[in-house]
Amino acid sequence: MNRRILLQTVVGLALTMAAPIAARAEDALAHVKAAGVLKVGTETAFAPFDFIDEAGEHAGLNVDLFNEVGKELGVKIEWVALPWDGVFPALESGQFNMVAGPATITKARAERYRFLSPIAEATVAILKGAKDDTIKTPADIAGKKVGAGKATAQLAQLQTFGKTLPKPVEAREYPGYNEAYADLAAGRVAAVANSLPNIAYVASKQPDTFAVVTPAFGQKSYFGFIGTKKPDDQPLLDAVQAALVKIKADGRMKTLQQKWFGLAFDTPDVAPEPTF
Amino acid sequence: MSLRLFELMLTAAGYTVAISAAAIAIGLAIGILVCAAKLSPRLWLRWPAIVFVSFFRGVPLLVQLLLIYNLLPSLGIAVPSLVAALIGLSLCTAAYQAENLRGGFISVPRGLLEAADMAGLSPWQQFRRIRAPIALRLTVPALVNEAILILKASSLISVVGVVELTRMAQNLSASTYRPLLFYSVAGGLYLAINWIVAAGGSVGERVLRRGRLS
Repeated sequence: MNRRILLQTVVGLALTMAAPIAARAEDALAHVKAAGVLKVGTETAFAPFDFIDEAGEHAGLNVDLFNEVGKELGVKIEWVALPWDGVFPALESGQFNMVAGPATITKARAERYRFLSPIAEATVAILKGAKDDTIKTPADIAGKKVGAGKATAQLAQLQTFGKTLPKPVEAREYPGYNEAYADLAAGRVAAVANSLPNIAYVASKQPDTFAVVTPAFGQKSYFGFIGTKKPDDQPLLDAVQAALVKIKADGRMKTLQQKWFGLAFDTPDVAPEPTF
Repeated sequence: MSLRLFELMLTAAGYTVAISAAAIAIGLAIGILVCAAKLSPRLWLRWPAIVFVSFFRGVPLLVQLLLIYNLLPSLGIAVPSLVAALIGLSLCTAAYQAENLRGGFISVPRGLLEAADMAGLSPWQQFRRIRAPIALRLTVPALVNEAILILKASSLISVVGVVELTRMAQNLSASTYRPLLFYSVAGGLYLAINWIVAAGGSVGERVLRRGRLS
């Protein structure tokens, strides 16, 4: 065996195992339509948007909504479920076409990513234990331990709000919101900060364990699906955006919001300029 | 726990076993090559093996998985979740298995080989009848150990989107709010699987001790 062949064998070992070497499509929309599959990345611990239901199936508003989007585009939806802090790196490396999530529309994110039509309000509020009388207004979390998801906009809102209080809030970061809710139920944190639709859903499912503290303390914000700003991705994202606007206009969105949040939001067709 | 949910746990356990078994097998094949290269007297064979082992043994498996899943697509190579998980686990275990095998080979008593030389055995005959059988016997316990380690380490592949046993337990305990139940079931399943692997290893050791492999 000569030296070059051997070197190629050793160096190429990892690459040969990654057998399916796909050529990059020029235009993501053409590629998705040709394949008949839209790949969507998300995290399945964000009820009621994405979660695993009692039967072990992936369910939630995102699943229903993307099924409608799929019908509009004439493609099937393929879900890729990752831990949340792994979702954006994988979007950038091209593991899927877009991200469901949804993510709170923030300035920092809007600089790097393209947000599609908002699907719900994302303003942050406090979830507390149902029997906890010490928290009556959001400011009562001063000096307490409050949980939030790692790498989330809700965590950033909590930290900003915490600084305005007389005693600082001890923010505890969790890999997913389910762990935070579990710790709240177990009494390891006094409250959890998350967007209103999420905690309203959690409290309605377990009224004996959790209660929502109104009003919301965060700045008004929206949830949206996310894509990249790569030029190749834009035709696809334009098509999804058009599908979302159509789904809103004909009332399907309101029906889905009623089904999953128990209330419907008025959301603008185009993501507004974020305030934070 | 309903039957349906138990089925889901069993299916996830099946994924864990299938992916781990494939990784152990691929890792053994690569490990044999790497071990041979590392034992070679030729420097240009040895250095790539040394680099391979130090990288895959020195970088945490979690980081390797994230690198494979996120880096290769940026280079234009499509890596689905399952493939990324398999590559990561296989290469990582290959590095360890290569070192286990090397440990077996360098533990073959020198006197035996000198005696074989005196008796006029060719290098191939020495390998076939003395070095390989002894090294294999010495390596089996470490191989079983490595198989069990990989079975448990396979819980990490959920970071690249593969729903294996641990991830399924997390998902179901989140949706049913019964973490104690699902983590106990997951723990029990891991224990049962690894117990079978260990028992299989003992049988293998006994067979090798008995046999003369000729």
